[in-house]
Amino acid sequence: MKKIVLNLRLFWQGASLAYVALFHWLQPATYAASKIIMPLAQMFFFVYLGTFATGAGNASFYIIGNALQITAVSGIYGVTMSIGGERNAGTLAYLFGTPANRMVIFLGRAFMNILDGALGVVIAFIWGVILLGLDLSHTNLGGLALIILVTTISTCGLGLLMGSLSLVTVNVMFVNNFVYFLLLIFSGANVPLDQMPSWMRAISNILPLTHGIVAGRMLVGGSSLSSVAPLLWSELGIGIVYGLLGYLLFTLFEVEAKRRGTLETF
Amino acid sequence: MNYRVLIKYWRTILVVAEMTIRQQLVDGFVIFTVLFQPIIIALLGLWMLKGKGPEAAMFVVVGSGLTGLWSSLLFISGNSINIERWIGTLESLVAIPTPFEVVVFGKNLANVLQSLMSMILGYLVAVLFFGYSLHIQQPLLFGVSVLLTIFGFICFGLVIAPIFVMSPGVQAWQNGFEFPVYVLSGFMFPIALLPGWTTPVSYLLPPYWAAMALHGTSTGGASLEQTLFYWGMIVVFSIIDLVVASILFKRLLYKARSDATLGME
Repeated sequence: MKKIVLNLRLFWQGASLAYVALFHWLQPATYAASKIIMPLAQMFFFVYLGTFATGAGNASFYIIGNALQITAVSGIYGVTMSIGGERNAGTLAYLFGTPANRMVIFLGRAFMNILDGALGVVIAFIWGVILLGLDLSHTNLGGLALIILVTTISTCGLGLLMGSLSLVTVNVMFVNNFVYFLLLIFSGANVPLDQMPSWMRAISNILPLTHGIVAGRMLVGGSSLSSVAPLLWSELGIGIVYGLLGYLLFTLFEVEAKRRGTLETF
Repeated sequence: MNYRVLIKYWRTILVVAEMTIRQQLVDGFVIFTVLFQPIIIALLGLWMLKGKGPEAAMFVVVGSGLTGLWSSLLFISGNSINIERWIGTLESLVAIPTPFEVVVFGKNLANVLQSLMSMILGYLVAVLFFGYSLHIQQPLLFGVSVLLTIFGFICFGLVIAPIFVMSPGVQAWQNGFEFPVYVLSGFMFPIALLPGWTTPVSYLLPPYWAAMALHGTSTGGASLEQTLFYWGMIVVFSIIDLVVASILFKRLLYKARSDATLGME
């Protein structure tokens, strides 16, 4: 019991401190620009591009896709920097020197980003309703909240994997930017999955966001939560697999870095 | 800064531009901003506008190139003074007899020139992956529009860079300026789609007039009179930018020297 309490405390302290550390250099303006204005402007850009291409009647397709895609800002950039930042800040050696449970440390890095990412998606949906006329009158709002949460968790799973890779990658932001923009194509946020070639659909199906976006569109279209449940399970499963893969690499890199003495070598 | 300074120091400008390009060729952030991001946007745009024919494809090619130009101007040219500060060369640059704004002009020239690569790559994506046969409808006018766009973007960059140095509060919003300008300048779709109240804001953005000139001449959608008007607006904004930049650079250097904060954030 005592061990559980200690691990919970470690989880919470790790989560909150990593988040504070991540944003210690941010002024409110920088936060607003990076986490609110940029994602929302990006959503407007793709929604207008989509409606220019296919007509105003398809606006909801692009609003839902791009609103959910916003979670990748926290999921990819936030989580990666929370883990990779340990190396940049020179604290990786101390972290690996502690006897603390590695899984608790690792998952703690994603926790606050999940809340932050989900909040970003909620803001995007609100703007979608107010400014772009998204109709949520037939939507199970509780179900939509669940989709947002699951999709955010799943995207943070990929972020955990990217974070582990950032421990051995020099140009982290290049890789992050690349993955973030590839998600714009492969997640189906802007291009319907049935218009993709089969090889692209195969990739889409193993990426986070894809199933969550489909589920979101179905739910807003009036489907019940039970009918989109299989999609949500898939989304969650994909996120867990990425997260576990990330954890595996995290532990592997720790062993290798200690063995070779390359803990903070760039 | 006036045109006589540019003529007098043209050699310096070219050397600075060459050095900047050499340095940035190995910078992952620059490579992504200038090449990969516009290509991904071009891919998405071409895919989404697939049913709209070659004219729309040309619109996307030019528009995605403009996104690369703007992102490069915002993030790379915008930090062209700050980066000298970060690597400790700002004091030396300010101390040399060559006017500091000439150096920044050369850096901006490099950024804009390398960003034009994104337009060429967008063209290749349209031709090779989507099978379009794209032709610039008014090649001569398009060429002039490209040259004026280069000059206009460099001048705009000369305003942004000192503002970002003198006002960290404004620079804090840097990430938030990228996509709004894509939208308001009509890079990838006409601004007629946007709410009417945004139109005056678009008119105040120099990239909007560059986009109008490039789109109009590449698709043949603009008459000669319209194109001349767009060029006139680019020139007017460039002159305003140069005047404002001149004032800003004087204030920046005076303030940095009098406060002894040249190398400090």
